[in-house]
Amino acid sequence: MSAGVVLVAGIIIAGFFSASYFASVVILALTYAIVTAGMAVQIGFSQQVVFSQSVFMGFGAYGVAVLNANVGIPSLLAAVIITPASGIVAFVIGKAVSKASGLALAVATLMFPLIGFGYLSYANWLGGSIGMPLTGNLWPGGSSSVANGLLTVGIVTLVVYATTRLVASDVGLEMYVLGVNERTAAAMGVRTARRKLELFILGSMLASLGGAVYAGTQLFVPPTLVQATSELSLLIMVFIGGRRSVVGAVLGAVAIEYFSGISNFVSIHILLIEGVLITVVLLIEPEGLAGIANRVWRVASASLWRQRGEASLAPAPPTAEQAPAPVSEPEVSAFRRHIAERQAASGSLPSNLLECSEIDKEYGGMRVLSAVDLTLPHHGIFGLCGPNGAGKTTLLNVIGGSVAPSAGRVLLNGADITGLRPESRFRLGVSRTFQAVHLIPGRTVIDNVAVACLASHESTLVRGIVANRLVEAREQAMQALEYLGMHDLADREVASLTLETQRMVELARAMAARPALLLLDEPASGLSTPQREHLKEVLHSIGEFTCVLLVEHDLALVAAVAEKIFVLSSGALVFDGSADEFRSSELVSSLLIGV
Amino acid sequence: MTDSAGGRGGATAVAPGSGDGASSQPAALRVADLSVSYGRVAAVHDVSFSIDEGECVALIGPNGNGKSSIVMGIAGLVARGGHVEIFGRTAPPANVMFMSRHGLTLVPERRQLYPQLSVADNVILGCYSRTRSLRKARTSDSYRRALTLFPELEGHMKQKAGTLSGGQQQMVAIARGLAADPRILAVDEPCLGLAETVGKRVYDALAGIHADGRTLLIVEEAPVRALQLATRQVEVRNGVVVRGSE
Amino acid sequence: MKLGNLIIAGIVTGSIYAAFAACVALWYRVSNILNLAVGDFAMMGALGVDDLVRVKHWAIAPAILVMLAAVAVGAYVYDRVVLGLAQDGRTRQEGIVVTFFFTFALSFFLEGLAEVLYGTDVHAAPDLWAGPSLNVFASGLHIERAGVLVVGFAAVVGLALAVFMRRTLRGKAVEACGENYLGARIVGIDNRQYRRLLFVLSAVLAAVFGILESPITGYTFNSGASISLTGFLAAAFAGFQKPGKAVVAGLSIGLLEAILGGYVSAQYGDTLLYAILAAAVLIRPSAMGLDVALD
Repeated sequence: MSAGVVLVAGIIIAGFFSASYFASVVILALTYAIVTAGMAVQIGFSQQVVFSQSVFMGFGAYGVAVLNANVGIPSLLAAVIITPASGIVAFVIGKAVSKASGLALAVATLMFPLIGFGYLSYANWLGGSIGMPLTGNLWPGGSSSVANGLLTVGIVTLVVYATTRLVASDVGLEMYVLGVNERTAAAMGVRTARRKLELFILGSMLASLGGAVYAGTQLFVPPTLVQATSELSLLIMVFIGGRRSVVGAVLGAVAIEYFSGISNFVSIHILLIEGVLITVVLLIEPEGLAGIANRVWRVASASLWRQRGEASLAPAPPTAEQAPAPVSEPEVSAFRRHIAERQAASGSLPSNLLECSEIDKEYGGMRVLSAVDLTLPHHGIFGLCGPNGAGKTTLLNVIGGSVAPSAGRVLLNGADITGLRPESRFRLGVSRTFQAVHLIPGRTVIDNVAVACLASHESTLVRGIVANRLVEAREQAMQALEYLGMHDLADREVASLTLETQRMVELARAMAARPALLLLDEPASGLSTPQREHLKEVLHSIGEFTCVLLVEHDLALVAAVAEKIFVLSSGALVFDGSADEFRSSELVSSLLIGV
Repeated sequence: MTDSAGGRGGATAVAPGSGDGASSQPAALRVADLSVSYGRVAAVHDVSFSIDEGECVALIGPNGNGKSSIVMGIAGLVARGGHVEIFGRTAPPANVMFMSRHGLTLVPERRQLYPQLSVADNVILGCYSRTRSLRKARTSDSYRRALTLFPELEGHMKQKAGTLSGGQQQMVAIARGLAADPRILAVDEPCLGLAETVGKRVYDALAGIHADGRTLLIVEEAPVRALQLATRQVEVRNGVVVRGSE
Repeated sequence: MKLGNLIIAGIVTGSIYAAFAACVALWYRVSNILNLAVGDFAMMGALGVDDLVRVKHWAIAPAILVMLAAVAVGAYVYDRVVLGLAQDGRTRQEGIVVTFFFTFALSFFLEGLAEVLYGTDVHAAPDLWAGPSLNVFASGLHIERAGVLVVGFAAVVGLALAVFMRRTLRGKAVEACGENYLGARIVGIDNRQYRRLLFVLSAVLAAVFGILESPITGYTFNSGASISLTGFLAAAFAGFQKPGKAVVAGLSIGLLEAILGGYVSAQYGDTLLYAILAAAVLIRPSAMGLDVALD
């Protein structure tokens, strides 16, 4: 829809105001919008701050200029040649910078505009510090500004259309999780390293395309395009518009270029104005104008609902707890069937699902886990208890893959998975929740649960644009929500839920993946008594077809559901026995209850 | 399953001081209707209890139920509602300096030391609330006392605090707390992640501090350790005091 | 001889990078924000004093004092208002946005202000120690008098900072802020005050450097950017954590810059420098302690 708006508005401006200065400013603004659309997707979704876009814009612009002025190729064709070429360059650079992340990445790429500008200023074959002129218009037919303008509008529309489709797809959801919390994304199977590289390439190619269009419409390429200040201006456009919103980024570019184009005052004072504007916007709303628009929309639609007398989007006031919905048979069968299928597909299985042997973990001189041995069968519920700081979460992290043990091995179905990353373990059937709730704000409950049901981990970004299988993922997620009796919450925003409900959504997400091994980190924390009863029932039924390892402080709950309980103290396994043995053990009492 | 704020178990209970009501001395610490919220989640509400000077009180209860939030709120590290009085003076919320100057110091959960600084530097920063002069701090009695509290640390004074074992770090944290010469020392989970014998050593030191006449407030998950020392316990469940007397 | 003079020139610019790198690293430890406007404060100092003396015919001393005071007030107000809103309020902002963009915005603002106030030509503050370049021990090596001032000032500041950090309780408190935010608050340290103090101090020191160094190279409204970036890079090599390492990095970069410019290519020397530094950061990011994720 947003692409449609761009198209219509663009056609009107380019078509009817073509000869005016106003139109030429808008066209220039649109070339920047191509670049910022790509940046919104790249920065907004992978949280990678890179400062390389102005260099790629320069690559596209100079590339087209060279092909046009020196080789005589028409600009549009040159653009078509240069854009894939930029993709290859981006792949190479992306791989080179992939080991770095966070600050290192930002610092390294901050040098790119300096290197680019420094080279271009003295490169005489590229026009040196003055720049390079072109003869060929973007529109191959001649120097019609209407046609040029319409072509630019068409390209921008396509870019907006493709990127908004990507954002709304299942791959888009993967990227969204990646941008919010990389750890959660990995635990839910997202191939984080690969996605970040893909996003870098996408952002760079779009920047290059923007540069190519710039060359074809402005007919002159100056080296200042690549300067550090230009890079920062691009970033400011994206942040003012909204770094996670493609349309926001487009509007940001258009607004800034437009106002500096039509007003002399603005263009003279542009640095001052940009500095003040971005500070103000960031203070009010880090998600920029798009974030402000979002907030306004939410408030408006909430009051609209209330006026209509429908259920309010605000959390319901505390009422007497309703009896939790009973677990329905069809859902249980679906889970069972799926697990059975998975087991059948992998041939004969060893008798134990999980085997941890001699797990050691040291953190800077402190021994957090020592020689822990733990085996779990294919189904059942197992408790992992111990005083604070005993190493329970660390052990869970070792099994889940986010922490590598200093020594020892982890075997899943007999295969050594000690070296595997969390996303790979997820695909092998390990799913987990975390101590702190890690849901994605700004998305609904169903989407948060669907994160675990995505089948797109192996697909490229392009597939996300072309074929969207988010609907299937949502259906699978819905089954998990129904299983827990939460289907009426599917369309609620997670930010509007209470902490207890958010915990249950996290549980639904972990279960939606239909895992073979479910790791739960303090799932009862913050739950009220009736909710704990419900949790017990849910655990009982899950335990019939999945293996659940439960870290919990609520000993009564653990003793009620677990068939076997492990106790860690100061990193060592000090007890391992049935619930009855647990209740009557003196060691356990003194350690945990203190009686 | 409906989405409700969830029932919170436990009634609001006021824990009486162990002294008689006719005592003319103000309580060392008096807390009334204390509440601490993180965002929209109320971790602690309607907490009231008081401690007399010289007492040793244990704050017990399962994890995640608000014990740390209570002491953090009292010490001024997090915003709080309600009323806190220290030796008769009303304390403004979220003001660590005020609590420190009037005699309450917190040894926080998980130590919170400065890993790259030496042991001696970690301890001397405990004097920050009393003086800004390094010389005065070095020559003060409280600093000397803090350094000699744990003879085990003697050879490690110049060592970076991050390289010590968990038990040694806990000792440094307590020494840092003592360097401020507090009248009330609040200790949050002193034995977190420590082996049994080390925990015992820590409690011996705390006993010594108590014998000196200081008031102690100890937050503990497993009461058996604290009860060796405590004259009274206050139990917290779901963010509310449920049992306050002994 | 040429090498010797290059080394001297390298030490002069290196001292500035070192000083700025130390300011960036120290402030980052306390505030978790990267000060990308530090070079722009230098530029403001230089251009402001030049404007007051050359255009408005003030005497040098009051011009310098007034400019430094203006910079100090400006930095104070910025921290109080902007950073205060961003970090001290109910919703404390974290992550990329705060780390980079607030001071980016400030840098833009200062450049824009300078452009409006002082135009786009190259200017410099007046020489504080006028005269031809000095002959070092009559050996044929030359050093600009302004260069002596720069290195001298850097050494004094460096020494003062080292003494402050090691030998005073406040200095240890500043280190504690960077080590453990919660641990610092436990003992009563007010993190925000130190953040403000160090920010204002960085701004004033930068302005002084600008005033001292501008006679050598000349400044224009956007000179601040490349100085900020190079100082920032030097701090990066210390993982933005250790001022001592940052100083060494700054000096090394200054030397490398001079040698590349003198022996390899006057035009592409800087470009080559940036390429080498970028590669160095990428090859061994963990060696520089840069494997800290942004959020």
